[in-house]
Amino acid sequence: MADLTWHPARSHGGRDHRSLRVGASAVIMAAVLLAVLLVPPLVPMDAQAVDLAAKLQAPSLAHPFGTDEVGRDLLLRCVYGLRVSLLVGVVAALTATVIGTAVGALAGALGGWADRAVMRVVDLFSSVPHLLLGIFIVAMFRPGVWPVIISVGLTHWLSTARIVRAEVLSLRGRPFVDAAVSGGASRWRVAVRHLLPGVLPRAGLAAVLMVPHAIWHESALSFLGLGLPAHEASLGIMVNSARSSLLAGDWWPTLFPGLFIIVPTLAVAGLAGAWRERLDPRRRSELML
Amino acid sequence: MSTAEAPPVLSVQGLSVRFRMRGGRHVAAVTDASFALAPGECLALVGESGCGKSVLASALLGLLPGNARTAGSARLAGTAPDGAPLPSVELLTATEGELARSVRGRRAGLVPQSPAAHLTPVRTVRAQLEETVRELTDVPRHELRSAAEGAAERAAFPADHLDRYPHQLSGGLAQRAATALALVGEAPLLIADEPTTGLDRDLVDRTVDELRRHADDGRALLMITHDLAAAERIADRVAVMYAGRIVELADAADFFGTPGPQHPYARGLLNALPERAFTPIPGQPPELGALPEGCAFAVRCPHATAACDVVPEPVDGVACHHVPVGALATGEAADA
Amino acid sequence: MLDLMDITAGYDRARPVVRGVSLSVAPGEAVGLLGPSGCGKSTLAKVAALLHRPDRGSVVVDGRAAPGWRHRAPRELRTAFGVVFQQPRLAADPRLRLADLIAEPLRAAGRRGEAAERLAELVPRVGLGPELLGRRPHEVSDGQLQRACLARALVLRPRWLICDEMTAMLDASTTAALVAVVEEYRAESGAGLLAVGHDRVLLERWCDRTVRWEALAQHASSRPRAAVR
Repeated sequence: MADLTWHPARSHGGRDHRSLRVGASAVIMAAVLLAVLLVPPLVPMDAQAVDLAAKLQAPSLAHPFGTDEVGRDLLLRCVYGLRVSLLVGVVAALTATVIGTAVGALAGALGGWADRAVMRVVDLFSSVPHLLLGIFIVAMFRPGVWPVIISVGLTHWLSTARIVRAEVLSLRGRPFVDAAVSGGASRWRVAVRHLLPGVLPRAGLAAVLMVPHAIWHESALSFLGLGLPAHEASLGIMVNSARSSLLAGDWWPTLFPGLFIIVPTLAVAGLAGAWRERLDPRRRSELML
Repeated sequence: MSTAEAPPVLSVQGLSVRFRMRGGRHVAAVTDASFALAPGECLALVGESGCGKSVLASALLGLLPGNARTAGSARLAGTAPDGAPLPSVELLTATEGELARSVRGRRAGLVPQSPAAHLTPVRTVRAQLEETVRELTDVPRHELRSAAEGAAERAAFPADHLDRYPHQLSGGLAQRAATALALVGEAPLLIADEPTTGLDRDLVDRTVDELRRHADDGRALLMITHDLAAAERIADRVAVMYAGRIVELADAADFFGTPGPQHPYARGLLNALPERAFTPIPGQPPELGALPEGCAFAVRCPHATAACDVVPEPVDGVACHHVPVGALATGEAADA
Repeated sequence: MLDLMDITAGYDRARPVVRGVSLSVAPGEAVGLLGPSGCGKSTLAKVAALLHRPDRGSVVVDGRAAPGWRHRAPRELRTAFGVVFQQPRLAADPRLRLADLIAEPLRAAGRRGEAAERLAELVPRVGLGPELLGRRPHEVSDGQLQRACLARALVLRPRWLICDEMTAMLDASTTAALVAVVEEYRAESGAGLLAVGHDRVLLERWCDRTVRWEALAQHASSRPRAAVR
């Protein structure tokens, strides 16, 4: 065999492009996580420190992102804002996924009239614009992080419920479920041992894809003045309060918080995309026989 | 077959494919496969699932995944529909662009394993045929319709079903639709990968007879199958694959009739048929990732001796140390 | 006795794929049901294994009418049937290792303790090497996976075996091997067999008697329509 010359089989293209995207997403996410976890405990600066003498300064060495209209350092505030946004995003996405998976799995596993009833409720919720519903929920509480999380969580489980239900329905018709039933498995065992493990990767993917969505939602609520208390460093609030200075030609107080909303959410979406490709059964095994 | 004189459409020499796995392991999916295929000839490549026969087909069409390595050569020649000889292409080293531009569909057509998955579910058969005609030929736009109908007719696909969607077709018609697509480019080589899996016997016979007709039209046909009855019906020659190697390459009439298969594995495979002895070959095929040093069949072979510690070279198409010196006489007696 | 009586079944009440079919299998008997693909014979097999509720008709197992299908059938009645399906890839939970796949019915019955012993007996019997037991379905060939699926069907020692196109995807040697495993089990246990397939030569070689689907269906269509409705 040693005398054979081996040629690599042709690659199908797109692979480098894809790994570049995944790599960039991973680097950005790592940087974001490091900044969010390490800056608040390690950097002895106060994100709320007002310095009216230094208000609306353009980016400089002392303030790489410049300062806002009351002279607070924008880089520091962006990091704090991202910390809040990520917290809201992750917790809200988890809440929504747990609700959605439970509802969807129940509907799919029970089938029949229970399925129809549950899905009509889902349709009913979907027919109301969820930002409106979110505003309604937030308005019932005092401004704070938790009302925002509850608001986002309670309005975003619908799509997950649909995805999980469809997945359960498709798995339920497979012969391996028939085989389990024939082997004496109870309803509970079929659901927990055979259906749920098949659904969880999809639900997990839906959860990750929901993190950016939840972040945007939090920013939107905060931008509207309904999210977090006004003094908190939230990316949405920062964009909102900087609108007036934008008209005066000061671009940095809106640009940097805006980028802090967009870039990390794209990175999360990039990683989720790679995960989705891994879930695709055609790519699952490298060897084909 | 008077076609033995014609130069081969496909000649495969010492083709090997291996996959690099995690942890530096290698899986030798195909080892040292050699055969030639003339126009008008049908070669059936038979073997059990996982023996490497589908990998061989994928290698010929450049459809291997990124962790595969190939060695040896597979030259595609043949003649254009107008009789002019086509330039020879080395399939193993051709670039993806070259394969896509001038090989797949144009010089080598693939009849797929599951036509239902091969056809686009949201477009009618006619739309898919017309698109393929437009891509692969110079037929002017206003003649697309008749060209598509012609292609359907050649695959015996009924014209009144052309406007249906794939899910509205029976298994047999879906198979014909996929065959029609494979025939559009007038490719001199057809590769059929398990075209009869899951079909019932009547449909297998019909599908196979139609494929045979395309070979009789002067195409070279490589049919990959585990269905020995289908192979017997269609093939001029049979190649038996075991553990990645072609262990026997024989004339189909000799193989299925007298004198019968020469290699002990091929003999066992044929004897497992319900119309014959219906006895399985003892044991299991080896893992392609952990092949033994010598003959891969030796552990299951009633004739194995110390000689089998060395991989046998094929002699007259049979790769076995005990052929043709009459060493199989005992096996012959047992079979009778 | 396994009696399928006047079964009408399908997936849409308006268009049943099985109409008024009756079929009996005696204990220890092997019955082949021969029909083209898509004719409804697989649906009948699922009804027989208590996996699909028919629109009409009843299944009587050893003199006892099945009170329901799927989970509405008592566990010991469901597990009286060992079922092997056509496509092992679809019939195997992709996340289970082969050892867990085979032992799954024992676990479902709370008899986990017997698993090691049954595996040690069944695995060599169906011709699987012990090194395959730790693998997942995508890491083995169709033939190896179908061997595991057959072992799973036998693990609870069923009185009835339902083989729905068990060998349609397999090569000749694996087919002969699996049929031999089924026959060996039946010889020692006296289990009855309903083998559904489209390969006449195979079924006639394998079974005591072979019934053509058309004959069953003709029987049904010759009745007055009112009786079928």
